[in-house]
Amino acid sequence: MPDATGATPTPEAAPLHTGSRATRALGLAALAATVLWALYGLVWSPPDVEMGDLVRLLYVHVPVAVLMYTGAGLTTFASVMWLRGRTPGWDSLAVASAELGVVFGALTLLTGSIWGKPTWNTWWTWDARLTSTALLEVLLIGYLAVRKVDPSPAGGSVRASVLGLLLFPNVIIVHYSVDWWRSLHQPATVTRLDPTIEGDMLVALMVGLLAGGLTFGWLLLHRFRVAWLEQQVERHDLAAAVADRRAEGDGGTGTASPTPATPTEPEAQPA
Amino acid sequence: MTTATLLALSDGGYLAAGWGATVLLIGGYALVTLRRGRALSRRVPAEDRRWT
Amino acid sequence: MWRDVALVAERDLRIELRSRVATNQVAPFALLVLVLFAFALDPDSGVLRTATPGLYWVVVLFSGVLAVGRSGSLDDADGIRDALRLSGLPPAALFLGKALAVTAQLLVLELVLIGAVTVLYDAPLDGFPLLAATCVAATLAVAATGVLYSALVAGLRVRDTLLPLLLLPVLAPVLIGATRAFEAALGADGVDGWSWCGLVVIFAVVYIAAGYLAYGTLLEG
Repeated sequence: MPDATGATPTPEAAPLHTGSRATRALGLAALAATVLWALYGLVWSPPDVEMGDLVRLLYVHVPVAVLMYTGAGLTTFASVMWLRGRTPGWDSLAVASAELGVVFGALTLLTGSIWGKPTWNTWWTWDARLTSTALLEVLLIGYLAVRKVDPSPAGGSVRASVLGLLLFPNVIIVHYSVDWWRSLHQPATVTRLDPTIEGDMLVALMVGLLAGGLTFGWLLLHRFRVAWLEQQVERHDLAAAVADRRAEGDGGTGTASPTPATPTEPEAQPA
Repeated sequence: MTTATLLALSDGGYLAAGWGATVLLIGGYALVTLRRGRALSRRVPAEDRRWT
Repeated sequence: MWRDVALVAERDLRIELRSRVATNQVAPFALLVLVLFAFALDPDSGVLRTATPGLYWVVVLFSGVLAVGRSGSLDDADGIRDALRLSGLPPAALFLGKALAVTAQLLVLELVLIGAVTVLYDAPLDGFPLLAATCVAATLAVAATGVLYSALVAGLRVRDTLLPLLLLPVLAPVLIGATRAFEAALGADGVDGWSWCGLVVIFAVVYIAAGYLAYGTLLEG
């Protein structure tokens, strides 16, 4: 039940969006870093001796790939933490990082493919890393599919968290078995993804990692708050539905008041 | 960093596609997320969104 | 503990013996897919013969998804899941019992399929110990993973479409390992069948442990 302090909120205290001082600062930093990223990646760094200008695609591809795995790892971490403490915040983090994982995973596959076409002369090759990345993307999509159809109230569900818990171990198992599968079939004839990188090229990659990381953090904060709001909406809708039932059945329904009727302690917001 | 400068590089089409797709997808996702947040905010009482 | 496991496995198998879903639907489906592969890949070119290990395990995987889905839906009716939860049976025993029941059904199916590929695809299957070990390990892996994931999607309306999406990518290592081991048993050069079989064994152990630990949490949710 809303407490008495919830009078008409000043827009300062409770904005009608997911932004905050933290996201604004982070967003500005991400934007600035992205400009630097583009300058270093596309203008200031020299072309590679072997790959030529195509190396500039790797300044995008490598950071988004790293962030995809970060998203998957965070999902598993948050799922474990939710299973331990059952605090709604971890559940929001799990779903937020999984969705970011899917977005950055799609970009990883896309940029990798675009790089592979001129380099290997094919959009796709059954390289171990490509294959396991594609499987990770499918695993993340499956996780989100479960989250979408899970009717359990107020987000936090055992189902989703066990699935999230299994996510990263699955990635590891899949990665090693696929790696083994490929290495037995054919030695790595194609150029590997890691040429020795140094000087301005290394700077370009590092700036890319920084800019990508800041953008990821900014998106994660916003997406986390969206997940949080979704939980609150469900909670309020449920409370309202229960109240309706009560009023209609004159209190004779006999069902115990479900926990969501009393507001759970909100997570400390990382504002 | 216009598309024209990108295309001037060797393999510029691939570069433009890769960087462009990244900017578009992340930008689009950010937009969708922000709008979802705005829409949902209206349905949640102020004391449950205490970030400033 | 083991008596509880046997109890659960016996219950699932008895239901199966009465309803005959596996024998009347899953097994014919598996054979049908074998025939479809022959339509899709020219039977005269020898592709079927060389691709037998892969085709075999794809069929087993698909049939496994069906068997596991069926095993999960046994508990859907009339609050059986609640009854099981309140029955005092340890969740780990429920998990192991269900997984063993699925394993038994799939092993029988695999035997039938081995006969079918020798006849239909003219596959020269020998290397019996490796074949048998791989079958047992891979079947345990499919059953354990499947029962765990079918508990994950239990009670959802879209369960039947969701289960393959979740299960098949996870089972990719089993498909890879079991196929390589079968290739070795078929006499492919340069494939160390036993170490691939070992990979499948490790996978099975990991998922049996995961189900053993997580099943209780899932039932409660």
